[in-house]
Amino acid sequence: MVQSGQIEPFEILIKRYEEKMKRYARKFLFGYEDAEDLAQEVFLKSYINIKSFDVSKKFSPWLYRIAHNEFINAIKKKGREPLSFFNSDVLFPQLVSKEKADGEINKRELRQRLDRCLNELSSKYREPLVLYYFEELSYKEIADVLRVPIATVGIRLQRGKKIMKSLLPKK
Amino acid sequence: MNTDNNSQKSPLTNKVLDKLQSGQIKMHPKKYFILKTALIVLSVIIVAFFTLYLISFIIFAMRASGAWYLPNFGFYGLKAFLAFLPWLLILMAAALIIVLEILVKHFSFAYRRPIFYSALGIIIITLSGSLVIDKTRFHSNLFRGAQEGSLPVAGKIYRGFGMAKCRDAHRGAVSKITNDGFLIETRRSETLTVIITPDTRFPFAADIKENDNVIIFGKRDNGTIQAFGVRKINDDLNIVPRRRIQMRLDK
Repeated sequence: MVQSGQIEPFEILIKRYEEKMKRYARKFLFGYEDAEDLAQEVFLKSYINIKSFDVSKKFSPWLYRIAHNEFINAIKKKGREPLSFFNSDVLFPQLVSKEKADGEINKRELRQRLDRCLNELSSKYREPLVLYYFEELSYKEIADVLRVPIATVGIRLQRGKKIMKSLLPKK
Repeated sequence: MNTDNNSQKSPLTNKVLDKLQSGQIKMHPKKYFILKTALIVLSVIIVAFFTLYLISFIIFAMRASGAWYLPNFGFYGLKAFLAFLPWLLILMAAALIIVLEILVKHFSFAYRRPIFYSALGIIIITLSGSLVIDKTRFHSNLFRGAQEGSLPVAGKIYRGFGMAKCRDAHRGAVSKITNDGFLIETRRSETLTVIITPDTRFPFAADIKENDNVIIFGKRDNGTIQAFGVRKINDDLNIVPRRRIQMRLDK
């Protein structure tokens, strides 16, 4: 219905994803004062590009992909943190443990830890951690959002958790 | 009523809806995205064909000069082979493979896997495709056209790379068997004397007869080659010595 140009059904989508986009923006763009304006921009971009959405697929990864692009552009513009042009972890096949369900308590604990060290994690590890623990996307969905191999998502989550562990005892 | 509805909406929703209703923001039509995807697919096809063309041309040029067969003559052959490789063309082919890799990364079947797999897939496909093209007379016909002057644009490139001289590899057809070797006629219409010694290697032992196409590996001293190795070759590149081409054009 949205694809036919109607605005009312798009309002339902905004309501459904508004909080998620704001949270993703706040967590990923930690310390960026215009994070909420960027979330607004995500909805405008998604409206412009809605006809590229394949209705046979899930909507959320498609929306998160738009958000990812928007946020990465914001990071590049501000130049506050370095973004690597090329990542070696997408080059070779890697052995990584398969996606497994963390217990709810474990997840809650990890979310709290992550909240405490967001500003110390590089965007490379911060984003998959936010998408996995806060936005509850699967490895495959994160791979589609970041456009990286599924195994790379596993590696970044593993390394991100390791970095988090090394950061927290100091606190 | 409308005011009530608006007051229930979040500021973000209001801002987005205001912009949409004011008509400032327009949806891209479906054909915009179809065109974008078609453009990427077309670019993949064009770059893939150009890569196939370039790699098969490199193989052709190597075969035409005889350098392609040098690794058969052991370590020295391999050294001479590496020294003769057209590195500029190889770098161009590598650049095209990188462009191809960047283009296919737009599709989920490629980006969901490590670059190693997609790059390996591209290299295998382009190399095997190039070897298939190499089996046809595609390049040799173009080369013939270049020699006859009927290939205006690429003619210079074909004449340049197709006639490139590898210092230690000499390709030609046996024109006469002599007591201590044989004579060959090269693509440049030169007649060279090949001297066979007890040390001469024949990696694919075969009787050398007149009209056989051969590759001689060895240092040339004026018109004589002390053969370090001789190999009979069966590839038909349809390359005619320059003199015969000239005779045909003169008629």
